[in-house]
Amino acid sequence: MDDLDLLKKDWKKQEHSLPRLSYDEIYKMIWKRSSSIVKWIFVISIVEFLLGAVLNIFLADEEYWQQMEKYNLTEFTIIVYIVSYLITFYFIYKFYKNYRRISTTDSASLLMKNILKTRKTVKYYIGFILISSGVVFLITLFLMLRNHAITAETPNTDMTFDFTQWLIFIGGTLLVLAVLLGVIWLIYRVVYGILLRRLLKNYKELKKLEMD
Amino acid sequence: MNKELEHQFVTNLEKHQNIAHKICRIYTNDQESHNDLFQEITIQLWKAYPKFRGDSKFSTWMYRVALNTAITLYRKKKRSIRTQDYDSVHFKIKAEAYDDEAERHLKLMYDAIKQLNDIDKALVFLYLEDKNYAEISYTLGITEVNARVKMNRVKTKLKNIINP
Repeated sequence: MDDLDLLKKDWKKQEHSLPRLSYDEIYKMIWKRSSSIVKWIFVISIVEFLLGAVLNIFLADEEYWQQMEKYNLTEFTIIVYIVSYLITFYFIYKFYKNYRRISTTDSASLLMKNILKTRKTVKYYIGFILISSGVVFLITLFLMLRNHAITAETPNTDMTFDFTQWLIFIGGTLLVLAVLLGVIWLIYRVVYGILLRRLLKNYKELKKLEMD
Repeated sequence: MNKELEHQFVTNLEKHQNIAHKICRIYTNDQESHNDLFQEITIQLWKAYPKFRGDSKFSTWMYRVALNTAITLYRKKKRSIRTQDYDSVHFKIKAEAYDDEAERHLKLMYDAIKQLNDIDKALVFLYLEDKNYAEISYTLGITEVNARVKMNRVKTKLKNIINP
């Protein structure tokens, strides 16, 4: 007889040694708060979306607009804002739709797939934030420098960069930018790494056979 | 959510609670975690209950939601390791029913199951529950052929753990 069949016999015998909850105990339980992974992913994603929005609003104070005015960048900034808000709203809509699709009544495989899809949407959103921040930063810097070069009245020899100084300046700027974006990306990876490690492992385990 | 639905749900779950307890036994190592997982399963079942149309049996539907909770949704809390004192009571084998040798062997089997990954545990659990491959494929979302192949691999895996 198979080992597992032997176990099956024993498994059936355990019924009477199982805990037994009363109607009232179960009734009380249905009002407890869930601490499921989906809920955590949802909360963290909302925080991410909000953080992006708050950062945008917070950074763009009056002084910022005055500066942009000074450098003739008001139009550029407004366009960037409109585009980035439109894209953010698109992401929020997608995210909400994905989240609604998550249902425990699906099979294990489909459930995992839908959770990962939701995650992917937020992942793309973070990617969009990182890349667009970098690009906008560089364009702004470029436009500012160009504007400065055009509007500077008398070229002051002490204030002009020679080639090496330019190289150091640009190199330094890029380095700071890379480190900043890198840190954000790392935090992001750590947060979801912890949350999704088990899910990813199980999903791969389930999918492994299909690829065999 | 009306009172009628609540009553219906709690009555159903009270009747079928063994399914959830057995899943907790496979997936957790101490009483506290057992209770945590049981509670999360209850919450998830209740949240999904409005979608339960009664076109399948409550128990069939419950296997799916409860296993989903154990495999995918449940976040294990970090606990101090106290598996030792729990193990002895966890899979309590009635001493009078077995001689020592058989009992020792069963204990080995249960320990081996604990070492499997989450998906393999689900397969073993459904097998022990006498589910056919159609039901296993429905619950996990893999084809029947894949379920069969996977089950054979799990059996081999278990054998290798017990007789290395």
